[in-house]
Amino acid sequence: MIRFDSVSKRYPGGREALSNLSFRVETGEMAFVTGHSGAGKTTLLKLIALIERPTGGAIEVGGQNLARVKRGGVARLRRGIGMVFQDHRLLMDRSVADNVALPLVIAGMPREERARRVRAALDKVGLGGRGGDAPAALSAGEQQRVGIARAIAGRPALIIADEPTGNLDPQLAEEIMRLFVGLREAGTTILIASHDLPLLKRMKQRAIVLDHGRLIDDVPASEVA
Amino acid sequence: MNARAATTAPRGRPRLAAWRRQHAWCLRDSLHQLARRPFGTALTIVVMGLALSLPLAFYLLLANVQHLSGALGESQSVSVFLKPSITMDTAESLAQDLRARADVAEVTIRTPRQGLAELAAVQGFGEALHALPANPLPYVLLVQPRKGLDRAQAGAMVQALRALPQVDLVQDDGQWRARLDALIALGRRATLLLAVLLGAAAVLVIGNTVRLDIRTRADEIAVQQLVGASASFVRRPYLYEGVWYGLAAGIVAVLLVLLLEAVLAAPVRELVASYAGRLQFGGLPSTALLLTPLCAAALGWLGAWLASTRHLLRPSP
Ligand SMILES: Nc1ncnc2c1ncn2[C@@H]1O[C@H](COP(=O)(O)OP(=O)(O)OP(=O)(O)O)[C@@H](O)[C@H]1O
Ligand SMILES: [Mg+2]
Repeated sequence: MIRFDSVSKRYPGGREALSNLSFRVETGEMAFVTGHSGAGKTTLLKLIALIERPTGGAIEVGGQNLARVKRGGVARLRRGIGMVFQDHRLLMDRSVADNVALPLVIAGMPREERARRVRAALDKVGLGGRGGDAPAALSAGEQQRVGIARAIAGRPALIIADEPTGNLDPQLAEEIMRLFVGLREAGTTILIASHDLPLLKRMKQRAIVLDHGRLIDDVPASEVA
Repeated sequence: MNARAATTAPRGRPRLAAWRRQHAWCLRDSLHQLARRPFGTALTIVVMGLALSLPLAFYLLLANVQHLSGALGESQSVSVFLKPSITMDTAESLAQDLRARADVAEVTIRTPRQGLAELAAVQGFGEALHALPANPLPYVLLVQPRKGLDRAQAGAMVQALRALPQVDLVQDDGQWRARLDALIALGRRATLLLAVLLGAAAVLVIGNTVRLDIRTRADEIAVQQLVGASASFVRRPYLYEGVWYGLAAGIVAVLLVLLLEAVLAAPVRELVASYAGRLQFGGLPSTALLLTPLCAAALGWLGAWLASTRHLLRPSP
């Protein structure tokens, strides 16, 4: 599903955020991207969703070479990806339900089905009944879960989540991770950036470890202790 | 992305349905956005409505002036007042001579008696005329020039009439009509120019409003793009916004002109009554009432299109 081939990324005027990175994530696989702050986790996810373009190497997502994706194709690519952002990226002047519905609106889904999916997604992240609230009336952890609901509502084939449990207490964090595991069992490919090592250990999933933009370890699920 | 992604675009008919639903959403969303700041929206609409009502008001004025001048007689006839000493015989022979001219189509004689009767028919004159010891009016020849005379030829004819020894005074009705027609033509041009200028202003005002709106909603636009909104989807609410602005301003303009009509109706009716009911105050035709909001909506769309092309469709990475 995802394939990085000697990928490098240097931000204009900055140092190299990712260097010569190569790995694959198979369809239906779940993997964590981990590493210290500034290691390049967010950058890696941004390259997958074409929020940034690599300065070297090649990336393939869903069999598609991202270098060949032109302007119009970017939106199409993103519609197939559910993305959870580190900074939530909610529309603060819309209701929680409207936020979750946004990808479904963009996909042109009928109203009733939209409402049903929004409700289901909010239930899954433990926010059933909060659909009418404004995001500003929610705690940071609740806002984060709205972002997760938005990413899963469209039932995308690929989910990339940037620190999705950063604002959650350990128990809620594990519940959300179990939710992702459930989605993976239903066939979704999932890539999660997280620096919560204890949580990673409990989840027993593959871990791609970055250090200063370099891949220093790729631990298969079976070896996570 | 392929696989079983439910969010990828469906093909064929379902795709059309999806497109329709997107439009419905964008349409509602744009109205919702305008309603969130009612004061600003109303202000913009009223200002543009006022601007657009100006050419409409001019149009209305011109149409009525033209109507008026038309009703006052299509005649290009020249009134030739003979000297008071001229008798019926002389008048008739002169008329006969004039009929022989190549540039004259028709000559009618109006006797002093007819002139007096006509004057008496005009309200208020009857009494005064009875008080006169004798009929003071001369014979008048109404000379109808041949059709198709140009300005110079008509002028030459009038000069020739003035030079006749029997003639006291020549009143050229055709001349003021020609002047009025020229004025009306000028007015039409000015109105058209005004309409074009104010239409351009409407495009700029709406374009600027939409530009500001795009700027204040930059975060929202970014999020929409992050979750897969196409350029046309992101842009659509703003195009609708422009259309709403234009449509509403056009309706305001029409309402203002209708109000103007209502206010002017009474005094104009009085004026009309003094012309023995031969005149009617003409309102704006219903096509103009319908076309103005539609054209304004098109201008609004254009303004929004320009603004969104310039400020929204930046190339993504
Ligand atoms: N837009 C940018 N412009 C310039 N440099 C950037 C930009 N974004 C990130 N960087 C740099 O790239 C490096 C990797 O950043 P990145 O955000 O990917 O780290 P991260 O692993 O997600 O960190 P964190 O755990 O704190 O979120 C950092 O050194 C950062 O300063
Ligand atoms: Mg990060």
